[in-house]
Amino acid sequence: MKSFTHFDAHSIGEAVSLLDRYNGKAAVIAGGTDLLGKMKDRALPEYPEALINIKTIPGLDAIGEGDGMLRIGALATLDEVANHPVVQEKYPALAQAAGRVGSPQLRNMGTIAGNICQDIRCWYYRAPNNRFSCLRKGGGRCYALKGDNRFHSIFGGSVEGGCIAVHPSDTAPALIALGAEIVTSQRTIEMEEFINVGVRNTTVLEGHEIVTEIRVPEPSAGAKSAFLKYALRRSIDFPIVNCAASIARENAKVTRARICLNAVHVVPRRAIEAERALIGKTIDETSAEEAGQATVSDASPLKDNAYMVQTARILVKRTVLACRELEQGASATAR
Amino acid sequence: MQGDHSRQLTCPHCGPTFASFEALKDHMLTHHRGVGLPTAESRITVNVNGSNHTPRVEPDWTLYHLIHDRLGLTGTKQFCDRGACGSCTVIMNGKPVLSCMTLAIECDGAKIETAEGISDAGHPLIEYYVKHHAMQCGYCTPGFVVTSKALLDRNPDPTEEDIKQALAGNLCRCGTYPQHVIAVREVAKDLQANKE
Repeated sequence: MKSFTHFDAHSIGEAVSLLDRYNGKAAVIAGGTDLLGKMKDRALPEYPEALINIKTIPGLDAIGEGDGMLRIGALATLDEVANHPVVQEKYPALAQAAGRVGSPQLRNMGTIAGNICQDIRCWYYRAPNNRFSCLRKGGGRCYALKGDNRFHSIFGGSVEGGCIAVHPSDTAPALIALGAEIVTSQRTIEMEEFINVGVRNTTVLEGHEIVTEIRVPEPSAGAKSAFLKYALRRSIDFPIVNCAASIARENAKVTRARICLNAVHVVPRRAIEAERALIGKTIDETSAEEAGQATVSDASPLKDNAYMVQTARILVKRTVLACRELEQGASATAR
Repeated sequence: MQGDHSRQLTCPHCGPTFASFEALKDHMLTHHRGVGLPTAESRITVNVNGSNHTPRVEPDWTLYHLIHDRLGLTGTKQFCDRGACGSCTVIMNGKPVLSCMTLAIECDGAKIETAEGISDAGHPLIEYYVKHHAMQCGYCTPGFVVTSKALLDRNPDPTEEDIKQALAGNLCRCGTYPQHVIAVREVAKDLQANKE
């Protein structure tokens, strides 16, 4: 790694003020598992002059319930989220998602806020020594469009740029399905609006803004959630497709459903059509299959990723069925 | 990964750039005295395998670099250097973490265990790894031993599934995976028997 200046921030205010002073030339480090890889590869045209360590800010790692919601500090590790008894009991989609990120070691290091703020993994964007000056870096074109796009978007590119790199987070779809809110150093943002596509930027955060807390509303009685991930390997792998669903039922009929996929589009993708298809129905093989079909009805795969359409369809079906199984007391088996 | 100190440094308070840390430091002391200095290198205290060290570390040193290259504990191996293989695993404050993706400067006050410490303490993991030959080329083995030690500290009687889950972050190119489960199960039995 090239040299940089290192600061231990002791309060959110101090971290924000340092970011402000460096004016885009500093990066925040918590778990570091995403940032250090990019720095070692010199993947981006600019290299941070300073890293601001926020692990030294006290009180940012608590997980607890209060005011009818789950409150997770930005620095809570993925391992802590996955193994927290309240998260496992009431927010299973989030516990399952956090438990499927990376490997045990990475989950001991990586934080929940880092997982939703992580950068994209497109192999052209991430190629060492900034080899491809792609759209996402402010360059001229998307190299994946004509190149190898087997892990890219099946729902088109970003509106302005045409970048087709997918968002790789596992916890983001779970948080969206559960209707979470992101609290930052200056405002509160709906999780669904948090992830963004811009040049060198995957969130709506401003340059000197830091995520401080994640709030998840308590699910209504009768609501169940589940998360499934399909990846080439069971461990140390990013998703090909992942899916989280939160489904509420009354008298066995679906009254409300929130389904979100990730790794299929440039941002996590709510499966609105699938949600509509489920309302008023019982959860069974047929309705779950219909939900899967509705999800991919407007898919437009590229030359190498048509298989992802099938994967997304089946994963939605299995996740919807997993919400039923959970109510019957059986545990969902993630694969 | 270290050595390149040729980059320009910017004053975080007012903007001009400097060729060296010393020049930046002089500027900071003249113009921003009392505001807080950027750190170039700093002295940290780490406890590695029971002994305290107070090395001066550069901001860009990883914990792996400190342990392997500076403290000379070569049992910790670096392979992928991107957090994707588990070879460089060490136990930090009771949890297995990847030393290649941890900055040494952020480890002040940490308690670290490496394969050397586990071996020196006479932990039966070493004996059973040898007995079951849970290695071929042996490069990934210290990472597996360290991860297994952290598992046994946390869960003295792990099931086969527990072991597979705990070791899911360690890659072995030689494919010795089945032997690790056998070895760790026997270590657990051995430790239980000796406790009773």
